[in-house]
Amino acid sequence: MRAAALIVALALASCDSSPEIVFKDASLTLPDDPVDLPEGPGRDAVIENCTACHSPSTMLQQPKVSAEKWESIVGKMKKLYKAPVDDAAVPAIVDYMVHVQSLPEAKP
Amino acid sequence: MSGTRLTRRALIAGAGATALAAPALASFGAKLGGMIDLALPGGPSLRPTTPAFPGKGEMIVQRIRPPLLETPMEVFREGIITPNDRMFVRWNWPMPTEVKAAEHRVAVGGAVKNAVSLTLDEVAAAGETVEVVAINQCAGNGRGLSEPRVTGTQWGNGAMGCAKWTGVRLKDVLAKAGLGAGAKRVRFTGLDVPLTDGAPQFIKSLPMDMAMRDDVLVAWAMNDEPLPILHGFPLRIVVPGWFSTYWVKMLSTVEVLTGEDDSYYVADSYRIPAQPITPDAKDFPTVPITAMPPRAFITSHTTGDTVALGKPLTLEGIAMGGDAALERVDLVGKGWEIPCDLGPDEGGPYAFRRWSVKLPQVAGDFADIGVRAKNVNGAVQPETLAWNPSGYARNVIERITLRAQ
Ligand code: HEC
Repeated sequence: MRAAALIVALALASCDSSPEIVFKDASLTLPDDPVDLPEGPGRDAVIENCTACHSPSTMLQQPKVSAEKWESIVGKMKKLYKAPVDDAAVPAIVDYMVHVQSLPEAKP
Repeated sequence: MSGTRLTRRALIAGAGATALAAPALASFGAKLGGMIDLALPGGPSLRPTTPAFPGKGEMIVQRIRPPLLETPMEVFREGIITPNDRMFVRWNWPMPTEVKAAEHRVAVGGAVKNAVSLTLDEVAAAGETVEVVAINQCAGNGRGLSEPRVTGTQWGNGAMGCAKWTGVRLKDVLAKAGLGAGAKRVRFTGLDVPLTDGAPQFIKSLPMDMAMRDDVLVAWAMNDEPLPILHGFPLRIVVPGWFSTYWVKMLSTVEVLTGEDDSYYVADSYRIPAQPITPDAKDFPTVPITAMPPRAFITSHTTGDTVALGKPLTLEGIAMGGDAALERVDLVGKGWEIPCDLGPDEGGPYAFRRWSVKLPQVAGDFADIGVRAKNVNGAVQPETLAWNPSGYARNVIERITLRAQ
């Protein structure tokens, strides 16, 4: 019952006839990506290790989780996504994220 | 591709450049535009909104890079089709920002008779042109509303949209190469690649029976316009009724597999518990997330709105059947339910459908009312969340409270 009713097969003739679509080049410039990590100890470690693949909002929007969970997130970034995280920086990154999550949410 | 891979030094240099370009004091919100509160339990719940992405109207910014843009719920008030400039955007890894049409090829290989490399015109001429209206919904839509909360992209319910997709059937593209013996799955690769060596690329595969369906497309148009680059120009896979994780964008490779797909985004990610679990469960069997369940939303009102005491009240919204046509929508409260009227079937079984219900008289507050969709296969929205650690496939009845005054 599904497919037949909803597919409108356009009367565009058989295979190998020239299609109506014309493909033009496409490009785009992404808007600026403000680094909006609040001040605090460890901020530089986070900028250095954690902002190459994704905006800081990836970290900032997470629900409040424990230091252990932040440690496991950093571990996942390293092991799975091959993030070149400096091992010596991990405690600073974890402490910073726990600190940031203890701040009240900034109201505009 | 090695030019796009990053060493640790390059990664740091890249991050430094970002920081320089945007001073630390710049406030995300002030810089971009407005703010919206997604009402995520426990927060953080505020997100900036911006019209700054090329080709997009006002969108909720979950992330600039790679882009994650959410559709404000008010867009769904307007009809069953989501305009291209309001459709949600989701990339896992940095998206290519330029595609040259004449140079683009789609390689069809793996277990095929003759591997081919097709130009865009060859893909478009591979079979008859087909249109299908279908909802594109992120597997993680509504993740931010999970309780207990889970990590990942903290979407509200706006990581969904409904469009008319135009393309050729995937099976006609496969026929250009011819299926080989033992074909079991068809895997898709796009132009987006990881930044780091050894990280998993976002590749996805469909079982053969899905790949050969008459309505599974290699699409080049969205609502009668060429696919915008944010939505996967020049070609994307369209799988009506299945979550958008399978709708691979910037399609560059179609690969026929003779066995199971052991790649990360199929074998290890985008999976849900095989059986319901509790949040403390560990080591449970999982299955890939595939077909969408039914959902319904009230779009005429949001929680906290006031309604006129003693007056009639009309509630309206949208609903979807998921992988089967919508059968009915009911307005539900505590211990009561009222059937809603379905709007015309404008887009077929995989599209949104409007619903409305007229209440003769408002007698008091409406606490925790919601709408419950049921599809023709009998799937119905549950009262309680089927919680899972990745926050996938949310379809619990969404509830709001209205105050009578
Ligand atoms: C090599 C690239 C890379 C680097 C560097 C990186 N990440 Fe990620 N991260 C990813 C990818 C890919 C995702 C998944 C994105 C998606 O699904 O859209 C992700 C997702 C996340 C998420 C979302 C939750 C989740 O588990 O998906 C958090 C939080 C996160 N990263 C934190 C960090 C932190 C903290 C650092 C620094 C220690 C970091 N990332 C560095 C690639 C990276």
